[in-house]
Amino acid sequence: MTSKSINKAARKTIFYLFVTTLLVGILLPVYFLVTLSFLSTREAYQFPLPMTPALKTDLKLGYGERGYLLSVWERSEDDYATVLDTNDLDKMRVYIQSILGTKITDEELAEQIARLESSGEEEVFFTQPRNLLYNYETFFRVTRDAVPALMRSIQIALITIVISLVIGGMAGYAFARYLFRGRDALKFSVLFVRMFPGVAIAIPMVLILANMGLYDQPMGLALIYSVGSIGLTVWITASIFLGIPVSMEEAAQVFGATKLQSFVRITLPLAFPGLAAAAMYAFLGAWNETVAAIILTQFNPTFSVVVYQTLLGATGQVNLAAAGGIAMAVPAVFFTFFIRKYINQMWGGMRV
Amino acid sequence: MAEVYLNHLTKRFGKNVVAVNDLNLQVHDREFLVLLGPSGCGKTTTMRMIAGLEEVTEGTIFLGDREITDLPPRKRNVSMVFQNYAVWPHMTVYDNIAYPLRLKKMSKQEIDKIVKDVAEMTSIGELLDRYPTQLSGGQQQRVAVTRAIAVYPEVFLMDEPLSNLDAKLRVAMRTELKAIHAKTEATTIFVTHDQSEAMSVADRIVIMREGEIEQMGTPEEVYDNSANMFVADFIGTPPTNFFDGEIRRANGTLHVVNPRFDMALSPENAALLQAYGKRDLVIGVRPENILLVDEADALLSTDVLVVEPQGSHQVISFEFANKIVKIVAPTHPPVSAGDRIHIDFNQRSLHFFDPQTTQAIDRPESG
Repeated sequence: MTSKSINKAARKTIFYLFVTTLLVGILLPVYFLVTLSFLSTREAYQFPLPMTPALKTDLKLGYGERGYLLSVWERSEDDYATVLDTNDLDKMRVYIQSILGTKITDEELAEQIARLESSGEEEVFFTQPRNLLYNYETFFRVTRDAVPALMRSIQIALITIVISLVIGGMAGYAFARYLFRGRDALKFSVLFVRMFPGVAIAIPMVLILANMGLYDQPMGLALIYSVGSIGLTVWITASIFLGIPVSMEEAAQVFGATKLQSFVRITLPLAFPGLAAAAMYAFLGAWNETVAAIILTQFNPTFSVVVYQTLLGATGQVNLAAAGGIAMAVPAVFFTFFIRKYINQMWGGMRV
Repeated sequence: MAEVYLNHLTKRFGKNVVAVNDLNLQVHDREFLVLLGPSGCGKTTTMRMIAGLEEVTEGTIFLGDREITDLPPRKRNVSMVFQNYAVWPHMTVYDNIAYPLRLKKMSKQEIDKIVKDVAEMTSIGELLDRYPTQLSGGQQQRVAVTRAIAVYPEVFLMDEPLSNLDAKLRVAMRTELKAIHAKTEATTIFVTHDQSEAMSVADRIVIMREGEIEQMGTPEEVYDNSANMFVADFIGTPPTNFFDGEIRRANGTLHVVNPRFDMALSPENAALLQAYGKRDLVIGVRPENILLVDEADALLSTDVLVVEPQGSHQVISFEFANKIVKIVAPTHPPVSAGDRIHIDFNQRSLHFFDPQTTQAIDRPESG
């Protein structure tokens, strides 16, 4: 082997090591969060944390001091661990269902107990399937109005998209097509509003919204989010409109279209990828925002606030919070993948 | 089809920039008129004012007897081919041609018939289902032309339609444009900065500079009777060669004398210059009117600087008074750099200019 090819191999190795490290760094937290959201509470607080949720639970039933002794197979210990000593079957069922995240009915439990008593053995073994969605069910069941909050978040995100696309899009078109005094200064200044952290301007925001009667209202939050996303929308759409030659519109006008028709039939379809990208940013901005939502809502929180609250206080369970986090991420991921199709036209299928 | 009249047309951008200055022009019915000039001469602005894409500062535009000065573009019944084609990338070729017709509220059958007819004429019939991005530059150009033909406009505007094509395609397309014009007989106004393109397609050329018309005429007129030194220089490749000189009378004939030559004028040229009151003048000689002759007949002799063979002819350059003079000569006899050549002017095709006004001397306004 020549030194050149060794050099090449070394460089390749370093490159792939780098890429792999990067990928692991990005994907590991996501993997961790997803796994955690499917773990039972008992698994979630084990050390080391299981890499994957168990798909079934191996249980052992025997006789204890206070009644029946329930043991569960511990993967990390490679042995059964005793978890409960009770003669209260309800308590036992609830424990299996909630702490072990495992499906079991009263009848199934009674049957196993009958099996223990009739067999004359010291103990019986049985296996029950896991309820992997237990955390999600619990999250939406026990968390204070998670479903209405989800609806509100969707509503807010959609209103934000509409407001920022209409106002930001029109401004972007003006910036791209017309020369006017102070254009560059104005274009730059639309980004200024993004400089201020939500917390810093919390009090004025609350006062203004309260005056408008929009405090604790989805509309109020949508307005606040729109202020931020309009700036970005202006920049995205302005550069998109700049990329569409004016002659496309002029041609339409020469060939019989009004100004409005030439905009709607020619420019708008051509700008669609850019508008989709702007919509995605507006959606993600509104969907993910938490600080302003905490400040500006009281009885009508958004979904991000609800997820945040599951992390707090004595009720906070990491696996529940993880389920909430995943539940919050899924719509954003779906929306991004949905809109990606249109954004891709910018680089792929259609060039202006 | 119609005539176009531009009356005292003026366009100012802001207060100080005058793009078009008091332009008067009549475009005849079915004429192929070319607006020619260097960039920034106002030719495109003039065309955009006719299309309605640029507001008129002063003056009027008439299409036949209809004033269109302030009408929006869609009400003018003109069509246009843009420099960058401006075919709509999100529509198929068919829809590109059909969309203007749909805006005219034509029936589906009518539209279909027209689209297929015009696509046949410009031979893009098999491209109708494609999107513009799937087409070559030349094909997109055809689509733009087809779209413009399909609306049967009164006036056809073409804004440097060939300048984005490669050299070979450009020459092919201009032949085709001329053929299409012959078929449609639409009044056509064509903007270009390429004088050879203008010469080859135009019925009449309007040469513009700094917002004003320098000369109008058929290609032959502007070539053979250039109105001034600007036109003589702008038209023709290689451009006209200019020689300074002064008029002297000797032995009863007029001579034009220069430090390096003394040319006795032919009786026709002498008659032309009789009326010219000044002494100094500029002789303009087209490259093909400088002849290679025997030493005995030579007006002047010089050393060849460069020879550029062109196949059918050769371009010979020599230096004269710190300027390069170019001769277009037959390939025989062969000449190479450094050779001594002997030249004479073809007296029947000389141009004379007043060095002060730069106007041609044979023109009434300079006489």
